[in-house]
Amino acid sequence: MTTALTRAERPYDPADISSLEFWSGTAKDREKVFAELRAHRPISWHQPVTNGMFEDPNDQGFWAVVRHADLVEVTRRPGDFLSGKGITFESLPPEALDAAQGFIAMDPPRHTKIRRLMAASFTPKQLARIDAHIVANSQRIVDDIADKGEIDFVKDVASLVPMNNICDMVGIPEEHRHTVAYESQFADGWRDPRLLQGADPSARVFQTIATVHGIAHELIAARRNKPENDLMTAMVQAEVDGERLTDDDISSIFALLIIAGNDTTRQSIAHGMKALTDFPEQRAWLMEDLDGRLPMAVEEIIRWATPIMTFRRTAAHDTELGGQQITEGDKVIMFYSSANMDTEVFDHPEQLNLSRSPNKHVAFGGGGIHHCLGAQLARRQIAATFRELLTRLPDIHVVGEPELGNGNFFHTVMSMTTQFTPEQRVTPAKKSGGAR
Amino acid sequence: MKIVVDRSKCSSIGLCEATAPDIFEIGPDGALNILIDEIGADRRLDLEQACENCPTQALSIED
Repeated sequence: MTTALTRAERPYDPADISSLEFWSGTAKDREKVFAELRAHRPISWHQPVTNGMFEDPNDQGFWAVVRHADLVEVTRRPGDFLSGKGITFESLPPEALDAAQGFIAMDPPRHTKIRRLMAASFTPKQLARIDAHIVANSQRIVDDIADKGEIDFVKDVASLVPMNNICDMVGIPEEHRHTVAYESQFADGWRDPRLLQGADPSARVFQTIATVHGIAHELIAARRNKPENDLMTAMVQAEVDGERLTDDDISSIFALLIIAGNDTTRQSIAHGMKALTDFPEQRAWLMEDLDGRLPMAVEEIIRWATPIMTFRRTAAHDTELGGQQITEGDKVIMFYSSANMDTEVFDHPEQLNLSRSPNKHVAFGGGGIHHCLGAQLARRQIAATFRELLTRLPDIHVVGEPELGNGNFFHTVMSMTTQFTPEQRVTPAKKSGGAR
Repeated sequence: MKIVVDRSKCSSIGLCEATAPDIFEIGPDGALNILIDEIGADRRLDLEQACENCPTQALSIED
């Protein structure tokens, strides 16, 4: 095939952004490579990712999109750059793609119809209506750690906040919450021996799919029997083109909501806590007017964290991007962590600046049709959690360096030790409302 | 001024609601509603931003 030959003949860029070693390092180390690419080779062709699993012998490489402006352009050309062939570097088996990526790995027109079903639950106005509930979830989580003095921040705070909020919205009962939050980590954590604990990566991913779909099917049956006011009920009752969604459709959307709901905000809250430890002057500035400055600070924390580092598209046909000829079928990877450090857009991006305004970060996407559905939910959760933590545990800080993941998708913090002076309890009994 | 929505393009992504919540609203059925019929000229910047932000280019201003 001519196209395959063209692809095969392209020389690879010398910068390594494909190896497991590259992704096992820190964001700071990776940024050195991205800065060089942004400055000299903004659209560059790279050898396929190596990770020991899901390696496709026909995979010849990918284009790396590292500049802010180019990332926005790719995002806004969904007819040229498709999501339906997969959204990760790796060529995942189609069964895994269908089972776990819901509408994020769909293209119009079906994407439009499925996404519209979800839209009303995630709008700014709807999130404002349930804000008291989001605040109460963060209060309860801080109640539970307030007398401890030292915690694993990821396990005891950062993972619980999104777990409770997304499970409330989807309608996942208490007994399944820790399971779905734990299993969701394998969406990107399948290459991490600390998570795998000896399991075969491929088998472990399919075990996750089976577990998550088992819970989905149980909830589908329950909501058909007795509707509730939640997203699971909305999916069960929804019609697309005059047809009900199948159980497999719903399970796939369910899996997407769990993964996107848990593994993103978890990272933003964790990286945010670390950043507030590392930049004490910024934290002091924030504390001078916490309520007034928090919304602005949250945007910078999200830029700083960039919880999703990459998304892939696939060229629908031969096309051009930033002066490069892209061939039909080429993988095109957008690097959000690089775009969010682009000096063309951000003044001193290497510094946390909680008063940054405007803050045109692309952590929620470049403004295309796949723009983060949960952006408003994420903002409210992060604000509620830091308001609670910084008010009640004013000296909370990270000790040492966090343990990071080694994936190329989520900017994972595995664990992070945090210390604080235990809160003085007003009453000995555990309060549900929290102290404000 | 009026806002015209191309219903064949709108995907209810809601960036317009985030820009000007008093004008745009994603309804409970997931469809975009325009809350103000005749919009004052002082809101032109908001409307222009909403049109520009729209990922599917579904919005336009009619003078």
